[in-house]
Amino acid sequence: MPPATESPAADSGLRLVPVLCCLCGVEDVDPVGVGEDFEYRTSRDTFLAIRCRRCGLVFLNPRPADDEAGRIYPDHYHAFDFQPVAFGFVYRVRHRLEARRLLGWCRGLPPDARILDVGCGDGFHLRLLRDCGQPGWTYEGVDSDARAVAGAGKAGIKVHHGKVEELGRSADSYHLVLMIMTIEHLADPVGVLREVRRLLVPGGRVVIVTDNAASPDFRIFGGRHWGGYHFPRHFHLFNRGTLAKLAAAADLNVERIITPFSPVNWVYSIRNWLDDWGAPRLLVNRFSLKSAPALAFFTLFDLPLALLGRGAILRGTFRRPSADAEVAK
Amino acid sequence: MNRSGKPVAIVGAGLAGLTAATMLRRHGILVRVFKAGKYIAGLARSERDADGFTYDFGAHFITNRLAAAVGCSTECRDMPRYGETVWLRGRTYSYPFGLMRSPRFVLSALATKAKALLRRRPPATAADWYRAQYGTKLANDVAIPITEAWSGAPAEELAASVGEKFATSLPRTLMLKAAARITGRTVAIGYCGTLPESPHVWHVYPEGGVGAICERLADEVREDIRTELPVEAILVENDHAVGVRVAGQVIEAAAVISTAPVHVLAKLVRGTDRLAPLARFRYRPMVFVNLRIAGPSGLPDVVNWTPGPDFPFFRLSDIGAGLPWLVPPGMSQVTADIGCQVGDEIWSMADEDLGRLCANKMERIVPKLSARYLGCRVMRTPLAYPVYRSEYEDDRRGFVAGTGVGGLLSVGRNGEFMHILMEDVFWRTRRKVLELIESLGGESS
Repeated sequence: MPPATESPAADSGLRLVPVLCCLCGVEDVDPVGVGEDFEYRTSRDTFLAIRCRRCGLVFLNPRPADDEAGRIYPDHYHAFDFQPVAFGFVYRVRHRLEARRLLGWCRGLPPDARILDVGCGDGFHLRLLRDCGQPGWTYEGVDSDARAVAGAGKAGIKVHHGKVEELGRSADSYHLVLMIMTIEHLADPVGVLREVRRLLVPGGRVVIVTDNAASPDFRIFGGRHWGGYHFPRHFHLFNRGTLAKLAAAADLNVERIITPFSPVNWVYSIRNWLDDWGAPRLLVNRFSLKSAPALAFFTLFDLPLALLGRGAILRGTFRRPSADAEVAK
Repeated sequence: MNRSGKPVAIVGAGLAGLTAATMLRRHGILVRVFKAGKYIAGLARSERDADGFTYDFGAHFITNRLAAAVGCSTECRDMPRYGETVWLRGRTYSYPFGLMRSPRFVLSALATKAKALLRRRPPATAADWYRAQYGTKLANDVAIPITEAWSGAPAEELAASVGEKFATSLPRTLMLKAAARITGRTVAIGYCGTLPESPHVWHVYPEGGVGAICERLADEVREDIRTELPVEAILVENDHAVGVRVAGQVIEAAAVISTAPVHVLAKLVRGTDRLAPLARFRYRPMVFVNLRIAGPSGLPDVVNWTPGPDFPFFRLSDIGAGLPWLVPPGMSQVTADIGCQVGDEIWSMADEDLGRLCANKMERIVPKLSARYLGCRVMRTPLAYPVYRSEYEDDRRGFVAGTGVGGLLSVGRNGEFMHILMEDVFWRTRRKVLELIESLGGESS
């Protein structure tokens, strides 16, 4: 990853590369959404989200080449430094909600459990675990962006700079791996998940949280403004079926896939729509991650949908088969 | 890699040929693209003159969706304006709502619909289709004269399928028009039949002409393109395409993809007579007269239909209004489309005479235009529109299902013998090629 620099002239296009469906190995697709980088305006490109006609995976094609990462993740990208100062009340609410969720995933971990957060950003979740988890647990993060690593370092969290494949850890290293809002950013989710499986102890778990491309917000806004597209940074967008297929491709067992509630994609979808159709700035700014009323409203809005299995995000818990099961195989 | 290790031979390097080539390459299949001429881009080619005017074979504006799919969106600009009008008995009607407000047309359409309730039978010809769809008056005054002008055949001799392209849903058109009004974008309506229409899909155009799309696709397969090598024959054995003959040499191929006009394809194929019926299919030749005009053109909208015998042309397109960057500031460029036959009076007329003729006739719509007329550039093509004559309609319907020869695809506007535009060509070609890839066992993993 090159060091952080000023983003280059926004009028030159990104270098884009064509790809096949990472689950089916073919490009048998229908276009579903067309849009721009509404949130950061890192380039003038228009991007196309397509759906595989075989498995239903939604993905970006063509997508930015690997060496464009420095440009599509600008310095002020929100995952790099989600500080309480900037986000205030919303930060405190998120803090409490996430802590409860995280500890739920940690049930059954041994007292000396090792936990890895892949794509940890500024280390938000690791900090929460450090503050609320058991004293014997150890935490590590990995993120491929130097700015994220620096952000986590400020908070005293150990984060490796690079890709999970480059960690250099032996097999069976971790009891729990977190991939929270990470899998959708990856160019090769199958390869990364296979590596995660290798790093897990037999019976160890990986928790994947990602946008749900079968939710009502996707159905309403999927033609262009859906927040989950996060053009052009979300390369792959899953639903229950494709997430299970991804796990199967990495030889992981599905323990559970649920759709928790989340206001974020609703808020961003509406923001993108208003912004794109020229609504007054005052109105557009009502819809952001800093806007407590909007987040509260859409939290309540998405709650019943989540209970019906149609929530805005997906959470899959997958387990590496226990040693016995692997021997039996 | 396909099992045989032989390449797929592609005849033609326009949008369809290059789309096919990239699709095959992405799936790990060898390709060889043969191009008779020196330049790629086929029908999508544009030319720019010393005065800063750009000329196309018709204005091939595309959509933001196609630009994104090909990865050339930053080279494109949004079309600032798009609309159609119909000139009728000295009046301009906006299309379609202006026509729908005329009591004469509305009453006739209602009467036709009422009659259809009593006696419903499928239309036998294009003329029947239009009358059943639009009512007798609108069909006779507008739809049929325009169709006859571009096809060169009486609407009674054309198949009803001519009209199918124009079948639209009124509520959807209203919704899209409203979205266009709100967003200020030229939302594509009736442009693409393969993909759903949407308020989020609008017209754009590459700055340097629409050939930019082909250039971007060609970047992926540059080393596989052989220019100035016309394919002399497509070789078929046991009803399966096995190769092509190029410059006297036989090149074995796992499959052959042709973008040639179908009556040419019929002559290229050796070793089967399955494609013989295609030799009868006809394309309408067309002359495009590009008029250079000082100041604004004075035309009511970007595309203006001129049905009936008053004009030699059936359509006037104000290029500068829709695509201002193709025309120098303070100037206009109007393309007059004239249907003709190869070698007839229009086809053979000197360029300057054609320009004068069009400028003079345009004065009925824009008074004193001739005084501002600066000159013209004329483009002639023997292959502008596929003509769906009833006499070969059964053969045409059979051809839609496939060539009947294993491993031989015919793709593109000319190759499919379909009145389709660029986004349709792109997606239809991809789907057909994908089926071919499966039959070749060429999926990579």
